[in-house]
Amino acid sequence: MTDPHVDREVLDTLREVMEDGYTELLETFLADSQSRLHELQDSTSAKALSDVAHSFKGSASNMGAVRLAELCQDLESNAKDKSPEALAQLVADIHSEFAEVRPVYESEKHHAHIH
Amino acid sequence: MQAQEPLTILIAEDSAADRLLLSTIVRRQGHQVLTAANGAEAVETFKEQQPDLVLMDALMPVMDGFEAARQIKALAGEALVPIIFLTSLTESEALARCLEAGGDDFLAKPYNQVILAAKIKAMDRLRRLQATVLQQRDLIARHHDYLLNEQRVAKAVFDKVAHSGCLSAPNIRYLQSPYALFNGDLLLAAYTPAGDMHVMLGDFTGHGLPAAVGAMPLAEVFYGMTAKGYGLTETLREMNAKLKRILPVDMFCCATLLSLSFQSRSVEVWNGGMPDGYLHRMASGERVPLPARHLPLGILSAQAFDDRTDVYPMAVDDRVFLLSDGVIDTCDANDQLFGVERLQQVFAANREPDRLFEDIEQALRDFRGQARDDVSMVEVSLLESAQTHGAAPVYSDSGQSCPLDWSASFEFRGATLRRFNPLPFLLQLLLEVHGLRAQSGALYSVLAELYSNGLEHGVLGLDSSLKRDATGFARYYEMRAARLEALQDGFVRVHLQVQPQGEGGRLTIRVEDSGKGFDVARVMERPVDNVRLSGRGIGLVRQLGRNATWSDQGRSASVEFFWEIEA
Amino acid sequence: MSVVTEVSPDGHKLTIAVKGRFDFGRHQEFRASYEQLDKKPESIVVDLKEATYLDSSALGMLLLLRDHAGGDESDIRVVNSSSDVKKILAISNFDKLFDIS
Repeated sequence: MTDPHVDREVLDTLREVMEDGYTELLETFLADSQSRLHELQDSTSAKALSDVAHSFKGSASNMGAVRLAELCQDLESNAKDKSPEALAQLVADIHSEFAEVRPVYESEKHHAHIH
Repeated sequence: MQAQEPLTILIAEDSAADRLLLSTIVRRQGHQVLTAANGAEAVETFKEQQPDLVLMDALMPVMDGFEAARQIKALAGEALVPIIFLTSLTESEALARCLEAGGDDFLAKPYNQVILAAKIKAMDRLRRLQATVLQQRDLIARHHDYLLNEQRVAKAVFDKVAHSGCLSAPNIRYLQSPYALFNGDLLLAAYTPAGDMHVMLGDFTGHGLPAAVGAMPLAEVFYGMTAKGYGLTETLREMNAKLKRILPVDMFCCATLLSLSFQSRSVEVWNGGMPDGYLHRMASGERVPLPARHLPLGILSAQAFDDRTDVYPMAVDDRVFLLSDGVIDTCDANDQLFGVERLQQVFAANREPDRLFEDIEQALRDFRGQARDDVSMVEVSLLESAQTHGAAPVYSDSGQSCPLDWSASFEFRGATLRRFNPLPFLLQLLLEVHGLRAQSGALYSVLAELYSNGLEHGVLGLDSSLKRDATGFARYYEMRAARLEALQDGFVRVHLQVQPQGEGGRLTIRVEDSGKGFDVARVMERPVDNVRLSGRGIGLVRQLGRNATWSDQGRSASVEFFWEIEA
Repeated sequence: MSVVTEVSPDGHKLTIAVKGRFDFGRHQEFRASYEQLDKKPESIVVDLKEATYLDSSALGMLLLLRDHAGGDESDIRVVNSSSDVKKILAISNFDKLFDIS
């Protein structure tokens, strides 16, 4: 069964490409993502939300976090059309999706370290 | 498949994780990597490091990818620095913005290594292609400069050769581009020792140096022979033979040659392949066309060459107008030719003959909107003899040993009379006597007059009163050519005697012919008539020489020249 | 193709048809049309029916052809000239060297 949250094949490729740099990549991604989540919380305008979402979408898709990337795409495209409540909901969804996939990347770090 | 050369690649991406990932991928592909976290950093790094290729994220803080791309492209100038935009932008409008900003390609996220490698390779090929184009362009520009310089040198040499002419004479008006030589256009003019004028308008095939190179030997022949007193016919034969010998088979020179005689009020014309010239008679306003009756110079062998000329009478102020085909061939925006009809219209509309050139230039400008640089025109007028003056010939010997006491006799018979013009040779001989050099013009005129009288009226039996009008004129020369061609017997003798006298010396010229003679007394009685086309010869001889006498019923003429040595 | 050649079955007659502008750009093709034949033809016809323009380089090419075909001994006819082309040939007096129609 394919994982809807994280594309394992992407991780395999990343591991192969990055070699010794895999750990650093994972750490960078996790750190970046944290700051992005904060930015989403702090954003006031639809444009700001849209820009952060765009950025987050990019690295999420690079790291294989497909569902996360989809949510970010949604926020990016529709930020100006949604009501404040809907926006807040979407931001919350993004938070919880990240929480969902975070352990996967942590686990990857652990495995890379062992190898 | 050729291996990809390592490049220096700048990665501008604000997301640290993406930047790290991309750098690793690119480094693994063998390239050197520079990074920047925003547009401003990207521009700075580009200025300092000059990378070969840029991977540019579209949305970045401080300065976005579009602006950074614009600035980098501006800094790169003529060289191609490919910019591949990194984007997860999907709307085509956003992608269009990438192109507008100068982007050459896109790479979508998530990054695909294989696609990235392929795009880098393709962009690098374009980059190297552009570099080659610029290199070759610069090489061509350098060669072009060398060529221009060569032409400048060739033109300087040619100008020195061309300067021995008389294009600045008061009766000549001309229009020629300074670089006419490199369009193959040639304009030469020179005085004969008798004060007549030879003019040539020529047009070599081709352009540039190949066209110009034939002009120099041709000019040397033209000036050399004209100065020595050779006629148009001999000069034409020599020029044709020379060009035939030195030019490749497919090159030739169209030319119109004129010999204008102020003394006999006539113009002799030879046109090989040039557009019609025009003889403008002021009294009637008529313009007589002078069409091409011959092949251009340099095509026919000496045996096949046709040196026959046409002779027309001219009155004072009449003009001969010649033009190159640059006028007729001028095209307008629809590729329509200016043509001979339009030229005729300009002639018809022209009110002031002195403004003919301006009228034609204006008509060409109106027709085309801009001037061509290969239009050549020349107009030669017949002025009163007194208004013209020849240049003094330059001699190279010092005069220490010159012959002062001698005589020589020549007899020219039958077939020789047909083909040979002894006048240049006789003149050269006489000019060995330094004291005579100051009078070379008069000497030549008198010799020429006596010889041609002896030949035409004496041996050929032509009646000069035929030349009283234009039709008769043409008939006279037709008959002259026909009778000369058929000539078997007859002679013209020339006796020359030089003797010292006092501080100087005396030359006696005697010319005899085998003809029937004429009534000398009657001709001497006639008043000298400047308007009539015939009968001026005797007056000329009496005017230019001393003690002119005719004997043996007009078959023998004698005249003397004296000189004093200046202290 | 702006220069089209045709050789008669017995190899005695060569026809060269020039189409469009007969100018310096045709130089290579024109020379190739007669230089590469195994057997030298006895007579040559240059067909200008579809030639729109003729300049001095074309005249030079005709001279080269004539020289190759034996100079004064050559038999070259230039046919189907338009009135413009005829005019150019007339001014240069090329009818003294070629049979022009």
